[in-house]
Amino acid sequence: MNFDPIMALSCVPAILGVVATTVEVTLASCLGSCILGFGLEMARRSGVSTGYAARFIIDFVRSTPALAWLYFLYFVLPRFDIVLPPMAVGIVGLSIYFSGYLAEVFKAGIDAIPQGQSEAAKALGLSRIDTMAFVLFPQMLRNVAAPIGNYFISILKATPYLATIAVPEMLGRAFDIASDTYRYAEPLVVAGVLLLLLALAAAQLVRLLERKLAHPSRR
Amino acid sequence: MSFGQLFLGVLGGLQVTATVTAYGLLFAIPFALVFGVTQHLTSGAARIMITAVIEFWRSSAVIILLFVFYYALPVFGIRLSATAVSALVLGLNTGAYGSQAIRAGLQSLDKGQLEAASALGLRRQHSMLLVELPQAVRVMAPTFVNELIQLIKGTALVSLVTLSDMTFQAKQLAEIEYNPVGVYSALLLAYFVVCYPITIFGRWLERHTGGARSLSGEF
Amino acid sequence: MSKAPISEIETGEGNKQSKAIEIAGLDKWYGKFHALKNIELSVATGQRVVLCGPSGSGKSTLVRCVGQLEGFQGGTIRVFGKRLDGLRQDASRGRPFAGMVFQQFNLFPHLTVLGNCTLALRRVLKQPAPTAREIALHHLDKVKVREQAQKFPAQLSGGQQQRVAIARALCLEPRIMLFDEPTSALDPEMVKEVLDVMTDLAKGGMTMVCVTHEPGFARAIADEVVLMDEGRIVEVSPPDVFFAAPKQERTRQFLAKVLQ
Repeated sequence: MNFDPIMALSCVPAILGVVATTVEVTLASCLGSCILGFGLEMARRSGVSTGYAARFIIDFVRSTPALAWLYFLYFVLPRFDIVLPPMAVGIVGLSIYFSGYLAEVFKAGIDAIPQGQSEAAKALGLSRIDTMAFVLFPQMLRNVAAPIGNYFISILKATPYLATIAVPEMLGRAFDIASDTYRYAEPLVVAGVLLLLLALAAAQLVRLLERKLAHPSRR
Repeated sequence: MSFGQLFLGVLGGLQVTATVTAYGLLFAIPFALVFGVTQHLTSGAARIMITAVIEFWRSSAVIILLFVFYYALPVFGIRLSATAVSALVLGLNTGAYGSQAIRAGLQSLDKGQLEAASALGLRRQHSMLLVELPQAVRVMAPTFVNELIQLIKGTALVSLVTLSDMTFQAKQLAEIEYNPVGVYSALLLAYFVVCYPITIFGRWLERHTGGARSLSGEF
Repeated sequence: MSKAPISEIETGEGNKQSKAIEIAGLDKWYGKFHALKNIELSVATGQRVVLCGPSGSGKSTLVRCVGQLEGFQGGTIRVFGKRLDGLRQDASRGRPFAGMVFQQFNLFPHLTVLGNCTLALRRVLKQPAPTAREIALHHLDKVKVREQAQKFPAQLSGGQQQRVAIARALCLEPRIMLFDEPTSALDPEMVKEVLDVMTDLAKGGMTMVCVTHEPGFARAIADEVVLMDEGRIVEVSPPDVFFAAPKQERTRQFLAKVLQ
């Protein structure tokens, strides 16, 4: 067997060193995709023509791979004189890619609110904006918390894509080690295992969140 | 080159995309069926092991898994073509998600069906094959369509292990033509043109199978 | 003036109307289904009208039209002389003329009982928070759930929740109260507490239109009982006539079935 466990272990500190980048990218992309996704869903609900446009954008984004978006933004933005650091490009790319999915999450989260809630708000004379802000939005948050948690994990697993656009995260660092030492298997396995552990830990947190939300007692 | 020519150039990689997808399904479908059914039927230690295998293939980052297998397998003396490795990794990843869909489909079935089958004297395996599984598949059909789209989009990663799929073609063209806007727009459009009709088909299916809730896989 | 939308055109008589609600020739379709057929009904100020009938008869639909939760395609509804717009019920929000109480309560689960009541006071009537609180507590007191003010709806019984819902509607001091089967989703032992609140309300002179299956309530409180069937009004009579000697055969059949 040519796999060197000692060498593999020696990769761990180097790769762990960039975990912060991975987590930062994940958090920022999660926020970005939520904002975009929510915006898309609001656009879809707000009128006939904006509805069709939003629906088309959602479908387009969901039919295209994340990698294609990363390449697109990385190479195209500079041509329009928009110069962003690679990490920012990566965050924008992942935000765009996942916005299509988050839009569906928000749609489901709003649809899950009983019809009677908006009727009661209407019967009390609340404006559409007030109904959205004070009645629907708070209830929607409760409904979307767990699905967003799950997409957080998906985004986490997508951060290695950013290695293709020169962002110093875990996969990128693994390839750095590989090109220095000419050993590929060990650093890649370490990166894979560490990311898997992160994903599993995040999954546990999401499960905890789900359990807390399902519990009927409040405050 | 005009946009149309760029578009056709990118589509030149369609054959590889399709091939990897097809071979991927050869891994995905059996895995999903076998592991989905056994996870549903077993309990205790056996179930924990089945779940562990599923979770490994589901929760790992596909891109890292792909690189690990591509670089690490030869180290262990296993020499597979890039196509085979890609199909294996992408297929088993998709299959792992598919197994969850099958399990969800089986769980959602009316218990009465099972009782009716055993009343008719069918043994568990037969009732599974003839009664439960077909219904589960029909109920989850829209989810499987989503998984297929995820698989197709996943093949974009094979461009990173030297296979000339559409993404690879796009990168080549971008270097030759130095027209990243055109090339990468064409790439996004190409994937859209391939995946969107399948999405439409999936929606049509959803309407005609009594509106099954389509759970999308994470990506 | 010809450019003005149809919504809420004031008639000359305006506030001098003694008719709280005037429905004339009302027609409503859900797609191809003719839900309300040429409804004619008047409710005077201070009057209590009970609507009953088999399910699907359109009684809930009628009340929801008056409460502007549904639109209608033909005929008119006037509330204190103002004509309602059947096509754009989204248009005017703002202080409602009618309070609505639903079968499913529809309390806001993420707000406390007090919060449920003060929300519209602050956002619609623009009351400052302390005033809103005073008003809310006053009405919660009248329906006897003041002690629950800091609790969340999920912590209350069905009867308490419905009483909160009534208080919530009353906080805006509407001139009419509409009830859509207020006790149908309640366990039997809690029906009385809600009916008692509604009875107190009636004694206070509130104009009420109530869809209900409770004959006792109708007998005690209603000035008029209306039977609806298949989208039409079959009979309008005072309770003693309605229950003892109904004018229509259809009413007799309905009573026989319902009052076993």
